[in-house]
Amino acid sequence: MSAAAASLAATGKRGHAVLNVLTAWHLVLAPLLIGGALLTLSTLGAVDLIAAILAGVAILLGIASGGAAVFIARRNHLGRTLSLTVNYLLCLGSALALAHLLGVFMGLDDLADAMARGIPYLLLLLIVAGYFISTVEVRERPVPAARRALGRVFMVSGTAGFLFSVGALTALTSIPGRYAALGWLPFALTLVMLLAGGMLWRMSRRDCAQALGAKNIHSERLSGWLFLSPNLLGFVLFFAGPLLFSLYVSFTNWDSFNQRDWVGLANYARVFNLSVSVLATPDQPLREVMDAGRYDELLRLNILGQGILIGAEDKRFWIALRNTLVFGLLAVPLSVLPALLLAALLNSQLPGMRFYRTLYFVPSVAAVVGVALIWQWMYNSQVGWINYFVSSAIGFLNAVLGSNIRDPQIRWLADSDYALLSVVIMSAWQWIGFNTVLFLAGLQTIPRELYEAATVDGANARQQFFNVTLPMLAPTTLYVLITTTIQALQVFDQVFIVSNGTGGPGTATLTMTLNLYQNGFQSFRQGYASALAWVLFIVIFVFTLVQFRRQRRASGAYDE
Amino acid sequence: MNRTYRLIGLTAALSLALAACAAPPAQPAQPAQPAQPVQPAATQPAAPAPSAEIVLRWRTRPDNKEEADVYASISDEVSKKLGIKLVYEPGGSETASYQDVLRTELAAGTAPDVFWIPGTDIADFVQRGLLLDLRPYAAKTEGYSDANYYPEPMFHLTYNPETGKLGEKLWGLPRDVSTFVLYLNLDLINEAGAPDPRELAKAGKWDWDAFKQVAEKVNALGGDIKGYGMNAWWGPFGAFMNAAGGGFFNAERNACNLNSKETLTGLAFLRELYDAGLAVPYGEDSEPPFRAGKVGMFQNGRWATPGISTVTFNWDVVELPKGPSGHMGNWLFWGAYVVNKNTKHPEEAWKLVDALTQPDIQAEVAARGTNIPSRVGEAVFAEFLKILPEKNNQAFLNGLADKPTAEGPLWTGSWPDFDRVMGAQVSDVLTGKLSVEQFGQTVCDEANKAFNK
Repeated sequence: MSAAAASLAATGKRGHAVLNVLTAWHLVLAPLLIGGALLTLSTLGAVDLIAAILAGVAILLGIASGGAAVFIARRNHLGRTLSLTVNYLLCLGSALALAHLLGVFMGLDDLADAMARGIPYLLLLLIVAGYFISTVEVRERPVPAARRALGRVFMVSGTAGFLFSVGALTALTSIPGRYAALGWLPFALTLVMLLAGGMLWRMSRRDCAQALGAKNIHSERLSGWLFLSPNLLGFVLFFAGPLLFSLYVSFTNWDSFNQRDWVGLANYARVFNLSVSVLATPDQPLREVMDAGRYDELLRLNILGQGILIGAEDKRFWIALRNTLVFGLLAVPLSVLPALLLAALLNSQLPGMRFYRTLYFVPSVAAVVGVALIWQWMYNSQVGWINYFVSSAIGFLNAVLGSNIRDPQIRWLADSDYALLSVVIMSAWQWIGFNTVLFLAGLQTIPRELYEAATVDGANARQQFFNVTLPMLAPTTLYVLITTTIQALQVFDQVFIVSNGTGGPGTATLTMTLNLYQNGFQSFRQGYASALAWVLFIVIFVFTLVQFRRQRRASGAYDE
Repeated sequence: MNRTYRLIGLTAALSLALAACAAPPAQPAQPAQPAQPVQPAATQPAAPAPSAEIVLRWRTRPDNKEEADVYASISDEVSKKLGIKLVYEPGGSETASYQDVLRTELAAGTAPDVFWIPGTDIADFVQRGLLLDLRPYAAKTEGYSDANYYPEPMFHLTYNPETGKLGEKLWGLPRDVSTFVLYLNLDLINEAGAPDPRELAKAGKWDWDAFKQVAEKVNALGGDIKGYGMNAWWGPFGAFMNAAGGGFFNAERNACNLNSKETLTGLAFLRELYDAGLAVPYGEDSEPPFRAGKVGMFQNGRWATPGISTVTFNWDVVELPKGPSGHMGNWLFWGAYVVNKNTKHPEEAWKLVDALTQPDIQAEVAARGTNIPSRVGEAVFAEFLKILPEKNNQAFLNGLADKPTAEGPLWTGSWPDFDRVMGAQVSDVLTGKLSVEQFGQTVCDEANKAFNK
């Protein structure tokens, strides 16, 4: 037997021995996970969704662990996949739970202060790192040993100084105290984390892979999943999970603090519940025609002389829906059309265009709250700049022309006829810059040859714009329209700031998201607010779908 | 990347995560029960030995940075006195949704141990089980008495919603009180030839008619000058409803009273002011035009004093004019320090609340000019009157003495829901979109729903 073959045989033998240990580990782990989960479920006094989900995950891991034991015992490579997955998730889960118990996540909030103390050391590190990066080509030749050593000393001492200054030493010394204060749980979690981590590491070694007959393609697949896992877990934990949780909450009466009771579709029914009554006289009060304890007056119509009253169980939802749609109808064209024209202008080769491109983009990067506060001040009817300019202009015109134009003294944010329009103007002003950049990027992808061909065919600038630019910009336009529509239907910050969170004057600036916020975070009806959020989702989804369909039809027309 | 750098990187990442642990260690959960009797803060003979283990976070809603600095300095002072490490967290301003953020933190379990909330929120916080009952701790504190504070806030702070009785619970202690006055631009009033409201008040002739006459005279100066200004929230218009003998709720505070004849009289008077163009349009922030010297009388509370004291014209304050009821209809605004139900150090949290409401600390806060101490007694009044002595501070105390209505929570309903309905409809009335009669016909049908939830 050759040395290589002997080594391979020894590796295989060692791999089989380790696999026996791993089989035992999974055989123990499976009942522990399933039993623990079932015990937790049976002791839950009330429906605790989070605990139930965790228990469900534990059962799944337990089943996977059992499966891993069976496949490993049969020396099937599937056992390796299952084992790696179970141990990876268990190790990661235990580490996260331990970090939570030890207050690491809370402490991370305070790290900002600590980081400030460590900045000088960090700069030192950056300088050294910068040196090494900038001399990569020079270092094709060997770097002198003394310089290399000096660099290492700088990097290590910089790292040490940084860690010391941000409190790592204090933290390390506080760990035993924290463990002691929290009882057995952190010790158990540490044990699970280390065991699962150890098993994970061991199973990932070549000898185990060989013993299980795993091929390169299996390892590559696992590596792929491993690289995907941070994003995948993040997606599940922080996006899909909360999304599904909000769907569940929308069927409950949860208030964030107390027990959740299942109410079925009651929240959705309340959102949409309307009552229509025919009136004996046009001004007949609501309480005479419908249950005033349940419905509020939404609309009074006069159809062919017949008064009709529409009452709503949640009047504010319908008002918010109307305001949001009106806002979208005004804000989308006002922030898309000017952006298109601006982009066409900025795409020209005139001098100073780079400066203007930056200038128009500034509102998009400015903080919404700051922008809203400045606009609120400008809109002040008495001391604001807008009315000042309007008054000055009217005064000037009256003086010059001898006219008698009346100064309207518009109460921009105090008059319910103007308040929403004021927010539309403010929002469109802020969104135009970003849309302009998107259009500009789209314009720059249109081949010059198309314009040259159009010119040869005798097309003038207007014809080129409508027959070349616009069709070629269609994908960009669709993207801009969809993102701006979504942004408009979700408008919150601007109305929250200018109305001080009320949606006033009256209900003039009450939008869907503000109504949702008021229900969820002021009245703490999280269940109802979640239902409102899902209704808003459906509204946005329908609008987006319609825009996609229109675009598809338009593309088809161009294709033909 | 070679192994050394990988090791350095790994160590750095791990150490950073561990560095997060450098924050004070978490304490094991303890049941929120009274422990040993505590000494009253004022009578403690010496500062106890500092405890390295106990850390309390506390929060208020300061109106500006200067006030936040005062509270931070008080925090250090009380920390030394009690021997507890205190971490003061200034909350956002009212416009930054202080209460919404706080509720969210409570739901997430990250709220401070002790925090301030406005009087209107007490019932909501209590009924959601967010506040610790401090009565057992107070009962063992020498020198403590509910009677040390204004009775109106203590009514709500000692109310037991389960039995409906007073004095059984103690949900917190009032931080301060405040009341409305009219801030006067004396230069404008003199220029308009209007009588001095302070003199009218002294002569007992400061009523709605006199108030309207002054507003009209100032308004007659023309241009963008307005006689009167107030901001768009329940306080200012509520004072006029109260002064007319009405109010938001019935006597039992379990039903809407906005459609009563008296309440509508108050609202109609305000509507007249707006219809006549005497007031800064409803919904506009009246403070900037007042500070710009364009408003004769601006209705606001004590909290506005520090900001207004920087104006360049001659200013002073006068109490609110008396309405048809013979009273000003003023509010007694208050907020309270309360303790998080889930605090791990209930006894120390109570000590902190007690210490923060001692006369010396209240005087320190009041010296900023923003607050009126929440303790009653001649000595406290005397101290308060020393602040901004050239101004008519007595106007604030007159407001407190004239049967004010306490800013109060709804124990049988949802204040945010009630306020939302009322605020929107009052806004419609005062901007001319709804008549007072229409308001009276519909408002209670909608507002009463707030009591059924």
